[in-house]
Amino acid sequence: MIRLRIFFFRLRGLFLKRNLEQELADEIQSHLEMQIEDNQRLGMGPDDARYAALRKFGGVEQVKEIYRDRRGLPFMETFLRDLGYGARMLRRTPIITTVAILSLALGIGANTALFSVVDAVLLKTLPVEAPDRLVVFEWQAGRRFRTNGMSGTSNVNVAPDMRGLSLFRYEVFEKMQQARNTTGSESPLTDLFAFGPISELTAKVGDQPEIVKGQAVSAGYYTGLRVQPRLGRAITDEDDRPGAAPVVVISDQFWQERFRANPAVIGQQLLLNKQSFTIISVTPPAFNGTLQVDYQPAVTIPLAVEPLLLGEKSNLGTAKESGVWWLNLMGRLKPGATYEQARESLNGTFQSAALEMMPQPRKVNQPAQLDPRDYPRLLSESGSRGMPDVRKVYAPTIYGLFIVVALVLLIACANLANLLLARAALRGPEISVRLAVGAGRWRLIRQLMTESLLLAVLGGAVGVFFAFWGKSVLLALTDKETGLLPRGVDLSLNWRVLVFTLMVSLLTGLLFGLTPAWRATSLDLTTALKHSRRMTSTVSRLSKGLLVLQVALSFLLLIGAGLFIRTLYNLQRVNLGFNQQNLLVFRLQPQDSGYKNERLLQFYQKLFTRLDHLPGVRAATFGRVELIANDNWFNDFLLPGETETTAAERDTMRQMVRENYFATMEIPFLRGREFTVQDDQHAPSVAIVNQTFVRKFFSDPDVLGKRVTFLDNKREVEIVGVVADTKYENQREELQPLLYTPWRQEGAAIGEMHFVLRTAGEPTTLANTVRQVVHELDSNLPVTEIGTQSARAQATLGQERLYARLLSFFGGVALLLAAIGLFGVLAYSVGQRTKEIGIRMAFGAQMTRVLRLVIWQGMKLVLLGLAVGALAWYALNRLLQSQYFGPETWQRRMTQQLYGINATDPLTLIVIGSLLTLVGLIACWLPARRAAKVDPLVALRYE
Amino acid sequence: MAENKHEVLPGTLNLLVLKTLATMGPLHGYGIARRIEQISGDLLELNQGTIYPALLKLEQLGWIRAKWSVSENNRRAKFYSLTRAGQKQLLAEEEEWNRTAAIVTRFLTPSEQKQ
Repeated sequence: MIRLRIFFFRLRGLFLKRNLEQELADEIQSHLEMQIEDNQRLGMGPDDARYAALRKFGGVEQVKEIYRDRRGLPFMETFLRDLGYGARMLRRTPIITTVAILSLALGIGANTALFSVVDAVLLKTLPVEAPDRLVVFEWQAGRRFRTNGMSGTSNVNVAPDMRGLSLFRYEVFEKMQQARNTTGSESPLTDLFAFGPISELTAKVGDQPEIVKGQAVSAGYYTGLRVQPRLGRAITDEDDRPGAAPVVVISDQFWQERFRANPAVIGQQLLLNKQSFTIISVTPPAFNGTLQVDYQPAVTIPLAVEPLLLGEKSNLGTAKESGVWWLNLMGRLKPGATYEQARESLNGTFQSAALEMMPQPRKVNQPAQLDPRDYPRLLSESGSRGMPDVRKVYAPTIYGLFIVVALVLLIACANLANLLLARAALRGPEISVRLAVGAGRWRLIRQLMTESLLLAVLGGAVGVFFAFWGKSVLLALTDKETGLLPRGVDLSLNWRVLVFTLMVSLLTGLLFGLTPAWRATSLDLTTALKHSRRMTSTVSRLSKGLLVLQVALSFLLLIGAGLFIRTLYNLQRVNLGFNQQNLLVFRLQPQDSGYKNERLLQFYQKLFTRLDHLPGVRAATFGRVELIANDNWFNDFLLPGETETTAAERDTMRQMVRENYFATMEIPFLRGREFTVQDDQHAPSVAIVNQTFVRKFFSDPDVLGKRVTFLDNKREVEIVGVVADTKYENQREELQPLLYTPWRQEGAAIGEMHFVLRTAGEPTTLANTVRQVVHELDSNLPVTEIGTQSARAQATLGQERLYARLLSFFGGVALLLAAIGLFGVLAYSVGQRTKEIGIRMAFGAQMTRVLRLVIWQGMKLVLLGLAVGALAWYALNRLLQSQYFGPETWQRRMTQQLYGINATDPLTLIVIGSLLTLVGLIACWLPARRAAKVDPLVALRYE
Repeated sequence: MAENKHEVLPGTLNLLVLKTLATMGPLHGYGIARRIEQISGDLLELNQGTIYPALLKLEQLGWIRAKWSVSENNRRAKFYSLTRAGQKQLLAEEEEWNRTAAIVTRFLTPSEQKQ
């Protein structure tokens, strides 16, 4: 208590310094005058009286000094004084200061921008009450545990012989909920709720239909999360009954964008998949749901209403098909309860419910009873950030990027350390004088450190601005296929990020400030005072070491960039098997708008009649699967003569096409016949296969006339043709077996289709015409994903493009920083050795010799840096390929990103090495030129 | 805590100042210094000026308070007075001092010894 009182007194003393100083002077003055009076009264003369008074008092200035130290906060005062001094020193060399601040800002800004990604994707908790009390449920089971279908994203870490899922079936959830309700207040959970994505809904607001992301939730969702809607009321038990009036909750973003934040939206109707829903509330602004980190639903409906939207595709099951595993489960813990308690309380119910749902074995020879070791078991983990699966996928690459920017910052720091080293060496005489007069070493170090901390904090402040700008660049780099950074993530510079920036700045300041300060103050006083410039070794070994490190790091970054550029180049030149020029592609999902069977076929017919005759369209076709877009569709099947019980598991990739597909796509047709209009539902079922299919499944290449049977619907098709191979999902893949069927024979399975138009000119000019044509046929049907095939293929390479771009950018920055550093150090060195150079030239050295001398001094470091970098690269590769990293770790996966090129590709190494050498030469040449221009006479006089 | 070499009796100066104020009532710095001189019979080698840092410390500790006022000669001076906490502290320190002196005396010959 007393210390606090003293502290406040001192703080007050700091602020009222001038007043209190005057007060003390007055007080002492008055004291002395009184003493003098007394002395005079004792009979001394005026001068003697004064003299005696002063002597009795003691040293006035010393007393004032002691008083001052006690009155204020000396530490604070010296710090403020150092700060002022440091600011003045920085102002004296504006160019160096600016370069220093800018390079720091770049490094810190990049780190901050990336940290905001880390924060948004990996760290940020849900904006709900007490998010740390939320728990996510998952489960694991032996591989022999059977489930029927599942749908969704799942990424659960389990032992290799087990399978894990974060998806549940509705019936299982219901049982678990009942169990929780019966235990009531005894249960460790206060709430249990389920939710699942409905990834594509056609919503119609006003005139234009659009595809939005949605989700379905159980009644306890909003209460369990403790989220209050911004307007209206949340979903209740009443709404989550089969047969209840359909209601929908819309997100704040959707409300802002489509309804212009109109509060009268409550009670309005919204058309979803042509069904009418009543809007009952809007969620608060920061709330984006609890699904995967990159999934933000625009609309939320009660679970019971989901069949209304999806009809036969309902995940909750229909009369014909049982429901699938698709729901995520979360709960809220009672205060004091643990995840383990919650898990245990529901495990039994889950297990019996899941076992009940297990379908009969497919093969007759599989046992119906499951070994208890394979029984499904409930798992639980923290739910404070929502569903964790996607986050776990992104984590490695984000951390990888983080390492890259950290390296760049390190290089910037090295530059500044060199800068300060040089500056500190220049101030050698001044510092030694200070030391000689008695300044404490730590005092001096503190002063020098204040300067570097000032630089660092300024760099951090500017860095925050860079981060703002960099954030939008980062977001621009996350296109749909990148898979590197999740899109739709809100990157905000919140307090966590700013604290991070501050910490990084301070750490940077300490890092590059401490060593120079230490060095500068460890001078041998006698020799330093002799004021000879030549005394300090011109460029210390530390400086040289830092330069070598910078070159090596830049080398590593640029190698990475080079390899990815080559990879990208290779991937873009892969032979896709079809002609991707001038192809306009778009997608239609008429079944979401209620088209089926005959109506659907007729619709497509009508559409094609229009499309075939559009000016600018040479040919129109469609396929179920879009090529080179990471889309797929596959079926299990049986070869001729096989039965279900005897066959091995076998599947093939599938495609469903119009008759002119191969001609339009320019896929070479090899044997047999193509599909014709006659291949309809009344004709025998046929199929066409690709070469890989023949090679893989048949020993005899004569496959025409052979029949294969699909396992799921038992349909048998006859192979009537063979076509050349194409790439299917992406450019990288190995060729896969592909089986085509004609669209007219697919009947109920036909659904969404990807249209492909071969255009005469630039495909995008037809986009609006196409939209119009579809609109004329059905104004409620949205045209989605319209673009060119080549753009689609490019987008699939999004991740490689991102890697190449980012590594090139940062590698370039690193190189620039290293070059600046090299230039700076050499310039300083030349400045130091002016006298020596003068002497050499006076003795007849040629200018070229001097040039060579200086350049070689610098190039030595560059070449050493290259060597160190190359060695580090080889070592790194050996490490990555070794046993230490398993094949599933992200480190190993990163090396597999390359295509058509080895990580140790010599050509790349040579090219990058040459680039660095060239840049190094330039950086060395400039100061060398200055050295060569030294006038010997001037130099010899120059001290 | 000996920041300066002038303070001859660290710690006990506090006691002397507090006692002086208790006896004399509110007094200015010069007065306190003179009084200490008189009572100690000039046996203490005390530079008068050192009283001011001591007074500041006592003020920071809350044992005395300061106020600018006019002295008997119509001179403007800063007067110090004892606070209630200061009074308690004085009693405590007196007790402490007496106890210490008693213990030490028991070990030593009866001749006066400076601490």
